[in-house]
Amino acid sequence: MLARALDSRRLRRLALKAAAAVAMLYIVLPLGFVTWLSFYAQEIPSYPPRGYTLDWYVAIMGNERFIRGLLLSAQLGLISTAIGLAVAVPAAVAIAHFRFRGRETINNLLLLPLMVPGVVLGTAIYVFHVETEINTGLPILGSLGGLVWGHVLVTIPWIVRLVTASLAGFDRTLEEAAQNLGATPWTTFRRVTLPSILPGVVAGALFGFVSSFGNLEMTLFLVGPGRTTLPIAILQYLQWKVDPTIAAISVVQIVLVAVAMLVTDRFVKLSRAV
Amino acid sequence: MQSDSARTGSPITASSLVGPAAVMTVIGLVLPVLLLLRYSLNLYDPRELMIETVSPANYVKFFTDIYYLDVFFTTVWVAMFCTLVCLIMGFPLAYVLARTQSRFKNVLIILVVMPLFVGNAVRAAGWMTLFGSQGFLSISLMDLGLASGPTELMFTTQAVIIGIIAVNLPFMVLTLQSVIEGIDRAMEEAAFSLGAAPMTMFRRVLWPMALPGIIAGTILTFILGMNAYATPVLLGGPEFKMMAPLVFGQFQLNNWPFGAAVAFILMTTTLSLTALAAFWMQKRVRLG
Repeated sequence: MLARALDSRRLRRLALKAAAAVAMLYIVLPLGFVTWLSFYAQEIPSYPPRGYTLDWYVAIMGNERFIRGLLLSAQLGLISTAIGLAVAVPAAVAIAHFRFRGRETINNLLLLPLMVPGVVLGTAIYVFHVETEINTGLPILGSLGGLVWGHVLVTIPWIVRLVTASLAGFDRTLEEAAQNLGATPWTTFRRVTLPSILPGVVAGALFGFVSSFGNLEMTLFLVGPGRTTLPIAILQYLQWKVDPTIAAISVVQIVLVAVAMLVTDRFVKLSRAV
Repeated sequence: MQSDSARTGSPITASSLVGPAAVMTVIGLVLPVLLLLRYSLNLYDPRELMIETVSPANYVKFFTDIYYLDVFFTTVWVAMFCTLVCLIMGFPLAYVLARTQSRFKNVLIILVVMPLFVGNAVRAAGWMTLFGSQGFLSISLMDLGLASGPTELMFTTQAVIIGIIAVNLPFMVLTLQSVIEGIDRAMEEAAFSLGAAPMTMFRRVLWPMALPGIIAGTILTFILGMNAYATPVLLGGPEFKMMAPLVFGQFQLNNWPFGAAVAFILMTTTLSLTALAAFWMQKRVRLG
C-alpha cells in the first residue's frame, strides 16, 4: 500500500519533470538549430549536411555590413545604458525611499516604455522627429542622437524595476544612523545605500544593455540612411534567405549574450533579478 | 519628528532625483504618442501625403474593411492561443525551476533567460532551418516514413504560432517561477498531509497563491503576442499579416495617418483586453 503510494508519487514527479524538460527543450531548440546550421559545409540549409566547416565564421569577419551593425549596436547599448543609469538610478532610489505626491504615477511613467508596443513606440517617435525637424530645423530625423534617446527609454524601465526591487528590503535606519554619525548625504549614499543597491544596478545595466542591443521594432523607424544595427541587418538578411553565414552571425550574438549572462550571474542571482 | 521628515523627503530632493528620467520619458514617449494620436485623425492624400483635419475616417476604414478586420482578429486569436499554450507549458517548468535544489539551477535559469536577449530574428532563423522543405523536420519525417513528400511548414500560420510561443514562453516561465519561489513549500506539504490529491492541492493551494504571477505572466505574454513583429514577418511570409507588420507596412507606403490609426487600435486593444483579463481573473479569485 505504502509502496504503491510512493510509486505513484515518483511517477508524478517524473511526469512533472518530463513536462518541464519539454518546455525547456522548446525554448532552447531554435538556438540549437541555428548553431548547428552555422557549421554546415554547404550553403543551402538542406538536411543532412554534407559535412562541417568553420569557413562561415571566417567569412563574416569580412562582411562589413554585419561588423558595422555589431559595432553600432554595441556603441548604442553602452551609451544608452550609461545615460539610462545616470537618470534612472536616482529616480529608482527616490521612488523606493520617499513618499512624495505622484510617486505611483512617476513609477508607472518610467515603466511605460516596456508596456507600449515597440512598433507604436517607433512610429510615435518617428512622427515626433519629423514634426520637430519641420518646426525647429534641427536635423533630428535619423540622427544618432534621436536613436540614442529612443534606446535610453528602453533601458530605463529595467533599471528602475531592478533597483527598486533591490531596495525593497533595505533598512532606512542605516542611512539615518550614518547621518547621525556625521556623514554627509553623498557619503551616506556612497558608503551605505550604493553597496546595497549594487546588485540591482548591475542587473539593471545588463538587462538595459541587452534590451537595447537586441531592440528591433522601435529601431526600424529610427535608423538613418547608411546606419544599421545588428538585429536589423539580421532581419533584412533573413527576409532574403537563411544560410550558414547568417547562422554564424547569430551564434556570435548568442555567445556574447551568454557571456554577459554568466558575468552578471556572479554579481546577482539571475533567478532573483527577472 | 526628524526621521519622519526624512522618510517623507523634501519635495525638492525627490523631484530633482526623479526629474531627469521623468522629463526624458515625457518628451521621448508621452508627447510622441499624443502626436501619433493626432496624426491618426488626419487624412492621407497620394499627392500631399497628409491633410490636416479631424476625422474618424481612418478608424472607420479599418473597422469596415474585411481585410483589416481579418488581420485584427488573426492577431487577437494568435496572441490568445499562444498565451494559453505558454501558460500550460510554462507552469511545470516554472514549478520545477522554483523548487529544484540542483547545483545547476543557475545554468537552467540562464538557459531560459538567454533566448530572450538573443533577439527574435535569430530565433526565427533557428525555426527556418527546421521548417524548410529540405529542413531537418521535413527530411526526418520522410526518413521515418511518416510523410511521403516534403512537409512545408515555412510561411504557414502553424509556423508563426510555434515561433511566437517559443519567443514568449521564457517570459511566462520567469514570471511564474519568481512567484512560486515565494510560496512556502510547507503550504503544499500541509495540503498533502491533510490528504489532498495532487490536483486538489494544485487547484486549492498552488493556483490561488500563484495567481498574481499567473495574471502578470498572462498579461505580459499576451502583449508580446499581440505586438509580435519579427516572427510573423520571417515565419509567416508576405501573405500572413498581423497588426505590427501592418503598421510598419503603412508607414513604408507613406500613409502615416492610417498607420497611426492602426498603431493606436493595436495599443488600445492590447491594453483594454489586458485590463479586462486582469479584472476577470481577480474577480474569480474572490468568488473562488
